[in-house]
Amino acid sequence: MKRHLLYAGLLWIILTAIGEYAAFNAKFFTAGAAAEAVIVDDAFRLLMLLGTPVFTFVLAGLVYSVLAFRARSESIEDGPPIRSSRTVTWLWLVITSGLAIFIFFNPGVKGLNELNANPNADLVVQVQARKWAWKLTYPEYNVTIEDASELVLPVNRRVKFEITSADVIHAFWVPAFRMKIDAMPGQTNVLYITPNQLSASSQNDFNLRVQCAELCGTGHARMRAQVRVVEQSEFEAWLAGQ
Amino acid sequence: MTTTTVPHTRYSRLNINRIGLWLFILSESGIFIALLAVRFYLEGTSRPEALNQTLGLIITAILLLSSLTAYRAETAIAQGDQAGFLRNTLATLILGLVFLAGVGIEWSQAFREFPPQSGFGRVFFAMTGMHAFHVLTGLILFGLLYFNGRRGAYSAESHWGVEAIVKYWHFVDVVWVFFYPALYLLS
Amino acid sequence: MKPILKGILWAVIGFTGGAGLLTLVRLALGMSLWDLEPAISVGYIFGLTGWLLGVGVWDYWARAWFGLPLKKFEANGLSRYFSFNLDHKVIGLQYLAVFFFMLLTGGLFAMLMRLELMRPGREFMDPAVYNQIMSLHGIFMIAVAVAVIIGSFGNYIVPLMIGADDMAFPRLNALSFWLTPLVPLLLLSSLFFGGWDSGWTAYAPLSVTNRTGQLFYNLAFMTLGLSSIVGAVNFLTTVLTKRAPGLTWGRLPIFVWSIIATAILSLLATNFIFVVLLLATLERIAGMAFFNPAGGGNPILYQHLFWFYSHPAVYVMALPGLGVVLEVIAHFSRKPLFAYKWAVAGFLGITALSFTVWAHHMFTTGMPESRTAFMFTTELISIPTGFIFLSALGTIWQGRLRLNTPMLFGLAVIVNFLIGGITGIFLADVPTDIQLQDTFWVVAHFHYTIVSTQIFGLVAAIYYWLPKFTGRMYSERLGKIHFWWMFVTFNTTFLPMFWLGLNGMNRRVAQYPAPLGDVNMWVSLNAFLLGASFAFFVVLIALAWVRGPRAVSNPWAARTLEWQTASPPPHDNFPREPKVVGAPYDYGVPDSTHAIVPAADSGND
Ligand code: HEA
Ligand code: HEA
Ligand code: CUA
Ligand SMILES: [Cu+2]
Repeated sequence: MKRHLLYAGLLWIILTAIGEYAAFNAKFFTAGAAAEAVIVDDAFRLLMLLGTPVFTFVLAGLVYSVLAFRARSESIEDGPPIRSSRTVTWLWLVITSGLAIFIFFNPGVKGLNELNANPNADLVVQVQARKWAWKLTYPEYNVTIEDASELVLPVNRRVKFEITSADVIHAFWVPAFRMKIDAMPGQTNVLYITPNQLSASSQNDFNLRVQCAELCGTGHARMRAQVRVVEQSEFEAWLAGQ
Repeated sequence: MTTTTVPHTRYSRLNINRIGLWLFILSESGIFIALLAVRFYLEGTSRPEALNQTLGLIITAILLLSSLTAYRAETAIAQGDQAGFLRNTLATLILGLVFLAGVGIEWSQAFREFPPQSGFGRVFFAMTGMHAFHVLTGLILFGLLYFNGRRGAYSAESHWGVEAIVKYWHFVDVVWVFFYPALYLLS
Repeated sequence: MKPILKGILWAVIGFTGGAGLLTLVRLALGMSLWDLEPAISVGYIFGLTGWLLGVGVWDYWARAWFGLPLKKFEANGLSRYFSFNLDHKVIGLQYLAVFFFMLLTGGLFAMLMRLELMRPGREFMDPAVYNQIMSLHGIFMIAVAVAVIIGSFGNYIVPLMIGADDMAFPRLNALSFWLTPLVPLLLLSSLFFGGWDSGWTAYAPLSVTNRTGQLFYNLAFMTLGLSSIVGAVNFLTTVLTKRAPGLTWGRLPIFVWSIIATAILSLLATNFIFVVLLLATLERIAGMAFFNPAGGGNPILYQHLFWFYSHPAVYVMALPGLGVVLEVIAHFSRKPLFAYKWAVAGFLGITALSFTVWAHHMFTTGMPESRTAFMFTTELISIPTGFIFLSALGTIWQGRLRLNTPMLFGLAVIVNFLIGGITGIFLADVPTDIQLQDTFWVVAHFHYTIVSTQIFGLVAAIYYWLPKFTGRMYSERLGKIHFWWMFVTFNTTFLPMFWLGLNGMNRRVAQYPAPLGDVNMWVSLNAFLLGASFAFFVVLIALAWVRGPRAVSNPWAARTLEWQTASPPPHDNFPREPKVVGAPYDYGVPDSTHAIVPAADSGND
């Protein structure tokens, strides 16, 4: 009995070590391109770090049992009649509850607060979705672009997106910004994003795209626009050219 | 092998039926809770002036009265009083029909004042429509009761059909007890 | 076949009558005479009634209400399965047939989707067609997942397990089954009306403005809901009232508990989907704008009502499978089910909590800020779910594990559902969900949860109870081949989808960024292998059914009641009323018995 616990525990520790090593070092997402992305990336990594021991615990228990306790003979033989164990069940309850509540606060509430922290913005962009195109408006500059093929933003400026829809539900999502919100008809949703990486002009990072992320009919998949993050000066030059 | 005391777990047919009916009613109330939620979500507590309050009050009273006659029909048959059973069943039928007629009149007025396409109209028609549908099925069932009752199908000992339909009728009534204030009285 | 033909005839008459009636009403009201969608809707209500009456409700049931003698009920042999039969064992197999057919058809749609997704561009089908196939795949599979285990094994096994001669309401039981063939029928006929392209969730306003095919989705889902409610009433009443003497709550097999929990969920939640689809239908056919803001409606209301049903529904999909798993694990570990009470508390706790979490599907809708509350309840639900893992782990620990095919599938569910559950936590936490919502992470999450619990659970159940309902044994060797084939390809298909989700692939798209092509190709190839494993399974089971070696009546030496009678069981299940005297899983407890089933001729009462 002791021996079994020891071996299974050892297996758990080894698996956990491997898992945690991977969780610390793996690159889960493609490169983030906004200040807010860090919040999401950190939250994700933390959940990985916390989820790994849970996963390996069950896995180790299962794998070890299958290896060590499989019936060796054809004849049917009963195991020890253990109905329950007060210590084990209460320990399980306390640990899993603690974990569940912990992740509610961190990264849950903590991340949400960080995302909601700063309602100031340097620039407003209005986004109107319709089947199947994006209309972008820079109200401070009186610039409107119908059927936008690209979204141009200045780097390191906090942008407030005001998002709505003209027909059905769409969603405004830029994977590299890690930010998404539905474009709801009859309602304006807001999203704050601070792009902090210049997009290289030569290549198109496919995750630096506005992608509709709510099924909206036939054109849903192709309801995209490239995002281009540029220096403030270039941004203003671009605006002037519109 | 001797078995020591074995707890009794089996129910009579009548009790099985009763439990089934209560579960069904429990489930059915979900429909009406959902509709109430829709009413408050979309329209808050607002209500148009054009609602015919007098008529609303009258049909409410009629429906409540029909619950009473339904109850009397059940007690009558439970005591083997066939005539009283038929009389009260018929009364319930008629009161139910009057209620439906009242809803019909309301609807014809409502079509003009707040049609189903309007804000209040949609919740009004959805709620009263769903309720009226239940009243209608209840009436069909009461019709069946009356029809079978005339053939002497029910007795003091065996009248599950009556009991079930009367319970259902009370349920439809209770629903109206929530719908009526939600539609007519709030503001 | 005759009852079915009669049902079809009456359905046609009903449909025509209903549509005709509507035309008359429209004539009276001075409206234009013909409008397709109202005609279909009203016609369907009458057609549905006609179908039920024709297929058997009239002959075997309703005639009594009018004082007419019931038709004598005679079908035997194979034709039982094509008629309005009241035997829960027949109904169980009827359910299995309908939903297994749906599983294969839904899987075929998945194969078509994977064919299109092999490469990033537009390959075989128009994006509109892709959306329709994807929607069909979704709703077919949801219907399977909601109904297959509870419908087939709930019906077949639960009355046996509790020592009853049948369900509490055999005729209602037949009725709830005969509603189900209409579901695939309606869904497939939607294709003749332009299909529908709004996914299985059918969010408004898209679903109130698109083509007529959508109406068929509404009607089909409502029909399925009706069937679930009737079934739930029946299951709960059965377990409440028809347990064998001595079968106290503490002695109930865990599978029965899982069915109780599932039935409570169906009973209380299903009418919400009924209402939301009814309102959506009214919006389509009567212009009552509940959900489309263009007419003053509110699209978020749709989602609240939809998920108030559909979140509990995901546990309707999970719990019966988990019940099967615990059942199988206990018998094949030859040990009492560990922490039985906690497992029961887990099922009931999930049931209670699952009514409080629905808006975790709406974190990105911009609903009024209530995300913290829903994040909290969602995270809590992993605690009762954990009890089930605790019970499973505790049971196999130090057992005498017999690794037969059902056990292997049972253990696979533990691993796969664990992956599904933990990845659900990433969705429950708002900061990560903002990114992951609507990506393939979600797709991977729910295949890991639904397919593991419901489909792997179903497969485990089929292997485990096959000897019960056929009296024959499958080939253990082929079963193990099937296990490894399906387990490995399932993981190689769906595990990479997490990666796809993290790397910017969103759901419900026929075309996607080119750099994701390689992984999608891999996923598709593995999906085909996974699909082939199902074909293998069908063959394997069919072989066993017709040609397998005879099984003894209790091949697993299991203690629960369903194994204490002949295989297949006689019409009334037990020769005489069984008595329950102990816990169901007391393996290894000296001198313990679960139940005593007196032989047919042992004395007189
Ligand atoms: C069988 C079906 C099933 C099951 C059981 C679950 C279980 C869970 N699901 Fe899943 N889910 C779906 C089917 C299912 N889901 C479907 C179909 C969708 C998509 C719908 C659509 O949009 O089409 C979805 C989507 C979905 C979303 C919305 C994603 C989005 O669109 O943004 C969320 C968000 O919270 C979520 C969360 C969870 C959680 C927290 C659980 C939990 O119940 C999981 C609990 C289990 C564990 C956690 C593992 C075991 C526990 C332990 C070992 C104890 C210790 C662990 C901890 C304390 C963490 N699911
Ligand atoms: C029970 C639930 C269930 C099951 C079992 C499956 C099974 C599978 N699913 Fe499914 N899936 C869903 C439920 C399920 N799915 C849901 C709810 C959605 C969401 C829809 C939406 O977004 O609205 C979805 C969406 C979904 C997508 C995302 C589509 C998109 O967003 O664009 C993908 C993509 O790969 C996919 C793939 C698969 C695959 C490869 C299988 C494989 O496991 C299938 C294996 C194959 C078979 C089971 C059949 C094999 C066929 C034969 C043997 C031929 C014989 C056939 C006949 C005789 C008719 N599914
Ligand atoms: Cu717009 Cu999807
Ligand atoms: Cu959910």
